[in-house]
Amino acid sequence: MSEKKTVREPARDIKVWREADVIVVGGGPGGVASAISAARNGAKTVLIERYGHLGGMATGGLVNIIPNLSDISGRQHIYGLTTELLNRLDKRGGTSYTKKKDRGSAEEKAVDYYLDANLGWFYVRKDHNTGVQRVLYSAVVDPEILKDELNDMVLGSGAELLLHSWGTQVIMRNNAVRGVFFESKSGRQAILGKVIIDATGDGDMFVAAGAEFDNDCDNKRRTAWLAFVWWLTNVNLKKFDRFKASQPEKYKELMQELGKLGGYPYFFKGILKSQPNTVWYHCMQPQSRRTDAMDVEQLTRIDIQARKRALITYDFMKKYVPGFERSFIMLTAPQLGTQGGRRIKGEYTLTEKDMETDEVFEDTIAVLANNDYGEISAKHPTLCVPYRCLVPKRVDGLLVAGRAFSSADTINETFNIIPHCIAYGQAAGTAAAMAVKAGIESRKVDYKELRKNLVKQGVNLPDVMKSNGTVQSATTGRSKADYYQKYRSTGE
Amino acid sequence: MTKNVDYIREKARDTKVIRHADVVVVGGGPGGIGAAVSAARNGADTVLIERYGHLGGMGTGGLVTIIPQLCDYTGKQQIAGITQEWIDRLITRNAVDMPKKEHWGSLDKELVRYYFERSFFYTRLDRVVYAALIDAEISKIILNEMVEEAGIKVYLHAWGTEPIMEGNHCKGVIIESKSGRQAILGKVVIDSTGDGDLFPYANIECETDIPAHFRIANLAVCFWVAGVDYKKAMDFRKNNMKEFMGLMRKANEYGGQGGFMPSNLPDQESVMWFHSRYPNKSQIDVEELTRVEFLGHKIAGKTIEFYRKNVPGFEKAFLVLTDPQLGTRSSRRMVGEYQLGKKDLSDNQPFKDTIAIFPDLDRGQDSLDHPNMYIPYRCLLPKNVDNFMVACRAFSSDLDVQDYFNLIPHCIAFGEAAGAAAAMALQAGVGIKNVDIKSLQKQLVKQGVPLPDVNKKVDHKYEGPALVGPSFTPPH
Repeated sequence: MSEKKTVREPARDIKVWREADVIVVGGGPGGVASAISAARNGAKTVLIERYGHLGGMATGGLVNIIPNLSDISGRQHIYGLTTELLNRLDKRGGTSYTKKKDRGSAEEKAVDYYLDANLGWFYVRKDHNTGVQRVLYSAVVDPEILKDELNDMVLGSGAELLLHSWGTQVIMRNNAVRGVFFESKSGRQAILGKVIIDATGDGDMFVAAGAEFDNDCDNKRRTAWLAFVWWLTNVNLKKFDRFKASQPEKYKELMQELGKLGGYPYFFKGILKSQPNTVWYHCMQPQSRRTDAMDVEQLTRIDIQARKRALITYDFMKKYVPGFERSFIMLTAPQLGTQGGRRIKGEYTLTEKDMETDEVFEDTIAVLANNDYGEISAKHPTLCVPYRCLVPKRVDGLLVAGRAFSSADTINETFNIIPHCIAYGQAAGTAAAMAVKAGIESRKVDYKELRKNLVKQGVNLPDVMKSNGTVQSATTGRSKADYYQKYRSTGE
Repeated sequence: MTKNVDYIREKARDTKVIRHADVVVVGGGPGGIGAAVSAARNGADTVLIERYGHLGGMGTGGLVTIIPQLCDYTGKQQIAGITQEWIDRLITRNAVDMPKKEHWGSLDKELVRYYFERSFFYTRLDRVVYAALIDAEISKIILNEMVEEAGIKVYLHAWGTEPIMEGNHCKGVIIESKSGRQAILGKVVIDSTGDGDLFPYANIECETDIPAHFRIANLAVCFWVAGVDYKKAMDFRKNNMKEFMGLMRKANEYGGQGGFMPSNLPDQESVMWFHSRYPNKSQIDVEELTRVEFLGHKIAGKTIEFYRKNVPGFEKAFLVLTDPQLGTRSSRRMVGEYQLGKKDLSDNQPFKDTIAIFPDLDRGQDSLDHPNMYIPYRCLLPKNVDNFMVACRAFSSDLDVQDYFNLIPHCIAFGEAAGAAAAMALQAGVGIKNVDIKSLQKQLVKQGVPLPDVNKKVDHKYEGPALVGPSFTPPH
């Protein structure tokens, strides 16, 4: 075939819509936190988001869960903007969470209560020291109320926002990113800025900027898959429970048959206390070959296939499973569930080793509860994340906030979810504003000042001077298969 | 506020071509679906590009889950084809609600009252009319099935942003997606973006003025509320009409929204549908889109708060979702080979190149005197570009025509004609402007599209009973 492989697009002049200090691309958890922090720290900030709402996976993806806020002892580690957000939601009845007095509890009554509550699995983790299950601090949020609260928080911070705007290209000045091109119904326009925060989730901006990144991911990992989330409502859950309890074999048989038909046999009961009779299907889409959340052809294929499987499930449940007779599909997630993709190669790359050494970095910007690594978690209940994970190696004017932070795929699988992204965003936004104020590149931001600023914002950080060197490092033998078991079991 | 109108130079570049096709359709809403399905079924290698993860546009993602105006006031169905096929597929899945066929056109007062209470869209001009309330989620799956069966290459999550022009010829389009900037080349390009997004780059003449008093001047943020005891709410309304109306007014004062419609779909007795109007400066101004999204979400939240507290039957109600796509009603209107205008609203003679008939139901006595609107093929053709068509609400029309005839079934009809014409032109080796109209009409009729005998003079004089009900523009 002699068909052309490329088309030549001539040079042209693109309208500059705004000049700002900080430009945040992507309005998911990382982007929202970045924009709010940057603006609150005095930077003229613009946030652009591709969809008509903020919140990314937490709202449009129907992954409306903010888990792992505490370790299994019940000790809370993530505060800052996540706490602020949850408090705001709580006032409007927009969140459900484990009671403070129950967190860390191994009491059977408490554990059973939460396991049976909405999205039970997220509330409980096994304690590998004792073998019993404990209650965590995790929260479930109402995506619609969350959309509104995020809008208010962003506007309240003074950041400027454009929805329905897709940031597609960076504007480079030598080795630094100094703006973005974006597409919208107003056509292609440009925004100029001093620091650009890539909160696209997939590193769309750092790819465009030519930054080094890592795209390797074991195909068996959660992060290598896409997820299709949807809700069924008008389910008579009491009737369903009675059926399942009285005829467990029959139920198992039915679910096996549904699996064979290509449907989804697993679902979570209940989403929010305000939404009775609703079930949550979080359907992982494992692929025989490595999937790539950045390949538009794959996205299309998987989206269409997953939707078909949802219909198979719906038809089957309605026809055969007591309690589902009058159910209907309430909604499918407006955004396809992407779980991982490219990761920036930053000034520091977090690996499993950092978990085992209990390293407290001098530029620690977040402490995360470490609950999903079995025995390792038992010995090392937290992981510190350094600012350098958000700073690309070579390219200036660019920070990464969100799941594309610099990390090995093992670490990324566990520490790339919503509360983590908010934490990265809060740090990135703060650092960006400080860099602009000081007139320096963001990689040069004073770590001590950054930490001080974050603590002032309510972020929980260790006292580096005290902790450094005093924590013993330990290594543990581990069986790989066990580590990710928890995550895997939700989807398969 | 003075705006910064600086420009920045974007360098030339080579953009990767990922596909060559016969027909490239930009936008997977009703118009794009009609165009792509029709083109592919007529043998064209067809690509469909959609910005969101689902097809159906306003009909699904916009939560405008209504396909109205399918029959004229006599009850005769005038829009069928792919629209009817979509509805038929919904019927087999028990995911649609509509007046019974034998009731279309009926003047029976009891029936009219019954249907009016069921849905605002089921009656017009004192009569029962054919309109279908559809299930958005099932529709997404059905539309996927339709495009798959037709063998269309679909790109979801891809935004068709610019035409690739060479003089008066459009060689293809640029898409933006997670795969970056790419190009798809085609022999015919169909703009089904709803807004004529490709017009500015292709120098296609268009109008964008929309005075505030037109229906189409408004954006919408639709949302669904579930967990409603509808019977309780309706009983309360019936027995305390004054109090109920007072509550609706108070809901507005509170910052929420008064007025709602029931879903009507099987098993969805507890679901209510909130439809709205938001004045704005322009529906292609991204700042305005942002502002209205904020406002709409705010109002949705206030609405549920108020109703739960104050409206009987809504005690346990919850917000299911706000529309994933902002409800847009109109923006650019092409000035094409023929511009349908005000004078056509009183002309009962079909065009030689009629490709669709649209029932005229919203204009009171004027509609009774002019029961149907005929749509010429030329409304889909720009003056300047030789291989480009419009199949969406941006068709060539003036404000008055646009205000009434830019709804979902209309767009599907534009698409069905455009797709068939594109495929037939390619097959015949002629330009789309030279496609044989008679063959096109014959093909459309074969596809189930009702068309008039274009050689016969229509002699219409309304002789039915005088209009009793109001003549107004419905808020769809």
